[in-house]
Parts: sequence; C-alpha cells; structure tokens
Amino acid sequence: MIEVERLEKNYGFARALKGISFSVQKGEVIGFLGPNGAGKSTTMKILTGYLLPSGGRASVAGFDVVAQSLEVRRRIGYLPESTPLYAEMRVDDYLMFVAEIRGVPRDKRRSAIARAVELCALERVTGKNILELSKGYRQRVGLAQAIVHEPPVLILDEPTSGLDPNQIVEVRKLIERLGAEHTVVLSTHYLQEVEKSCSRVIIVNRGDIVADGTRDELVSRQPLGGLRARVRGPETQMLSQLGELLPGCPVTVLERSPDAVVYRIDVGAGSAPIEESLTRLVVKNGWDMLELQRERPSLEDVFRALTIGSEKEVAHA
Amino acid sequence: MREGLVIFRRELRSYFLSPIAYVFGGLFLGILLFVASASSLQNGAQANMQAFFGLLPFLLLLFVPALTMRSWAEERKQGTIELLMTFPVTGAQLVLGKFAAAVAYLAFVLVLTLGLPLTLAAYGRLDWTPILGSYLASVLFASSFVAVGMFWSSLTRDQIIAMLVSLVTLLALYMLGYPQLIELMAQWLPAVCIDLLNGISPYKYFESIGRGVIDTRDIVYFACFCGFFLYANTLVLQARRQKG
Repeated sequence: MIEVERLEKNYGFARALKGISFSVQKGEVIGFLGPNGAGKSTTMKILTGYLLPSGGRASVAGFDVVAQSLEVRRRIGYLPESTPLYAEMRVDDYLMFVAEIRGVPRDKRRSAIARAVELCALERVTGKNILELSKGYRQRVGLAQAIVHEPPVLILDEPTSGLDPNQIVEVRKLIERLGAEHTVVLSTHYLQEVEKSCSRVIIVNRGDIVADGTRDELVSRQPLGGLRARVRGPETQMLSQLGELLPGCPVTVLERSPDAVVYRIDVGAGSAPIEESLTRLVVKNGWDMLELQRERPSLEDVFRALTIGSEKEVAHA
Repeated sequence: MREGLVIFRRELRSYFLSPIAYVFGGLFLGILLFVASASSLQNGAQANMQAFFGLLPFLLLLFVPALTMRSWAEERKQGTIELLMTFPVTGAQLVLGKFAAAVAYLAFVLVLTLGLPLTLAAYGRLDWTPILGSYLASVLFASSFVAVGMFWSSLTRDQIIAMLVSLVTLLALYMLGYPQLIELMAQWLPAVCIDLLNGISPYKYFESIGRGVIDTRDIVYFACFCGFFLYANTLVLQARRQKG
C-alpha cells in the first residue's frame, strides 16, 4: 500500500531524512516511533503530498507522491500534528466541507458524515463551533475529517498528544477500530500506544530507520537483561559462590534489607537458562531464595537502546 | 473547477462567520456614504456620485490589505494550510477559490452602496452609464488589489506584515496613476519610463472605465494584472512544498 525507497529530505543544510526505505502492506497498522526531530512528521508530510522529497521516491496505493500527487491525496486521510481546524466553523459544516472537497458524492455525504460522527462519538457536538470544543473533542473532529471519505490509507501524526489519560484510551480504541478497515500509519511518543494498537513498529532516529518489525521481533533482538534474585543469606559468601558458578557475569547488589539482599546478575545475550543452577546453589548452602525474576526487555528498552544520546548530539549540532 | 467552488464557498462563508466582514463592511460603507452625502445635494446628483467614486479607490487601498492579510498568513499560523494543501486540490484551484471569495465579498459590499445612486436618482436626473461603468471599474480595481494582497499574505505568517507590505505596494501602484506625480516625474525620467510606469497603475484604468466607456484593453489589463499576481501566488505555494 505504501512503498518508500531511499527517501531524503533536506531543510536547507539540515538533513531531516537520510534515505529511508520501508513498505506497508494493506491492513497493517504501523507505529512510527522516534525522538522529537527524528523525521517522523517529515515522512508523513511527504506521504500526504504536503512536502516534496529532496531525493528518493515514495508511492501510495501505486501512485507516486510527486508525479501523481492528486491521486495519492484522494486516497489518504490525514491528521496533522496539533490538529489544525477552522475554529470559526461548526463541526457539521466543517465535516461537510471536507466531504465535499474530498470528493464524496453528493448523495453519500450525509451518510458518510453520520458514519464519521458515530465512529468518533461526536454526536453531542455536531452543532457546536469548533472553537468551543475541548482538546479531546477537537482531536476527534480531526480524526473524523480524516476518515469521512473512507480513505484506504490513514496517516495520523501524534493522534494522542496533549490528551488526558481517559481521552488517550478513547482515541486509541478508535484507532484500533479504524485499523480494521484502513491501512494506518501513526506516529507517537507513547510506547504503550504502539504496543496496544500497532501491528508493526518502525523506529526512526536522526533521519534513519533504526528498527523495523513487530513488537516481539524487536524485543527479541534486544539482549536479555538480567536476573534478579532476592536471597536470605550471607552476602560475601553468596557473591564468591556466584563468581564460581557464573564466571564472567557481572553481579551487582541492588538492595540490602535486614533479612535479604537483592542481586542483579547480568547474564548477557543469548545465555542459557541459569535459574535452576542458581536455585540449587542457594538451597545447597541452606539459604533461602525469596524471589527470582528474569528481567523482560520491553519496547522501551529497545527504544532507549536505539535512540539514546541522540538528543544530546542534536543539541550540539 | 468543482474543488475550486468548494474552496470559494468555504472562504466566503468564513468571511461572514468572523466579525471582520461586519466591521469592515460597516466602516467601509459608513465612511463612503458619509463623505458622499456630505457633499451637499445642491451640487446635483452627478456631482455626488463623482465624490463617491473619487473616494472609493482610496478607501479600497486602505481596506483591501486588511481584508486579504489573513488569507494565507492565517492558514499558515493556524496550521490549517497543511490540511488545505493535502486535499486533492491543485494550487491554482486554491488560489482562485480564495481570490473569488474575496472579490465576491467586496462586490457584495459595493452592491450595498447602490442605495446611494438610487436615492440620488429620486431627487434629480442621473446618468446611469458612467455610474454602472464606475461600479464595474471598482470591482475590477478591487480584484487587482485582492490579488496583490493575497500574494503578500502567502509570503508571511504574520498578518500585520502582509498588510503593511500590501499597503505600500498598492500605494506605489496607485501613485503611479496620479497625474500630478506623473508630471513631476516627467521632469526627471525619459518619456518611455513614464509611459511604462503609468501603464502599470490600476488607477489609470479605473478612471478610464469609470467614464462609462468599456474598452477591451482596460479589461485585458486587469485580467493580466490579477493573473500575474495570482500565478505568482501559486508559485509561492509550490515553493513551500519544496522548501518545507
């Protein structure tokens, strides 16, 4: 549905996109993740025809975003960052305007608007001026205008930014429902959003794609973290025994309480399960294993590992 | 074409949804009618209309930049331009839709002033030919100002700057059609330059049509003038896509 090849964009001397490539299949919900200024919005602006790329090519539904821009724009619903709307218009008038300009046939406009209003739960505010709406409602009006013409592709730039937790949940549910009928590309800062509603994640950093895959794929590529053990027993002996059992694995003491010590054993990438031998060691010495836990790498770990330090360097640039 | 009409309708409606249409229209009509009726009825109906059309170009000069300063600058400031430019609409359709809406609004305000000649006609004999000619000239004149104002509005996100630069541009163009200034400049510049400068001033053509004689050359002039600035406007939009 979307093909992007070596896409580049320069703003003056700044290189916002350094030749990214990815593709999106029909029906996928893609989460675009990345720190601020990574190139998420730029990519979306090129896909929607708002900006022209400096190099490379991109196509949506088989149409080139530069040469066949109007065809591409007909097939896209777009929610730009910060949801710009004509504040002086009424919600229903605004949706009618979008339906008209998006080419919804005259006899289908009413039903198309009714569908968008229903999906976005806007029934109570259709007669109000956009100016009077809360941030949450404005966001939903923004989503309604993006879906009113039932586009095959939806591009949503930070659809939940600035919303309160309840509104975020609502918008997220809505996106999940939309994902059933549309191909969706959304960008976000919220990692939970990606975990909940996206079938695939693309992480961008400083104009490059640094990861592309399903959540589980990305997490499994991340080296396993460590093992946390809460043991009641003498600390020095425990440490020396651990050194014998697992040579080369750094051990740190995380916490000391009167009755137990929490150790973190950095088991490194791809190591065999060691929970059994560790438990046997503790039991053999007559100590008590109070807790044993494998640290699960989360998407957040993946994100941090791939993008850390970028802000510092951006600040220097 | 259809898309351009949708833009036109939204823009025109937007004028009437915001207070600007009423404040602008009220002030414009108030000043114009006050001055026109102040020159007493004894001067004769024809003289009164001359006072009216003498003031009109100057008022348009002041008011049109205030009307058009919003057209693109506001869209950019609010970010709505991003949606506008991602609708399946060409740049030319956007520009023409906005242009036509502003012209339609100004024409509407001018139609409201028809009350003046109608009243005057009740008191004395009125020659309608130059009056209708002047109305046509006023609409064309206002259109050329709208094209200039929109062009400057597309270059900035600051409405005030858009208004001031438009005002200066229009003032310069206006002055070039002013006979006294032309005579003054004739002492300094060769005749070719004078003809050229005088030739680009909309004011000259305004007067020409206002005499009630509609010359195709005058119409062509206004079409070219508007066309030039509107085309430049589409180029600015295109350049923005490139630059980001």
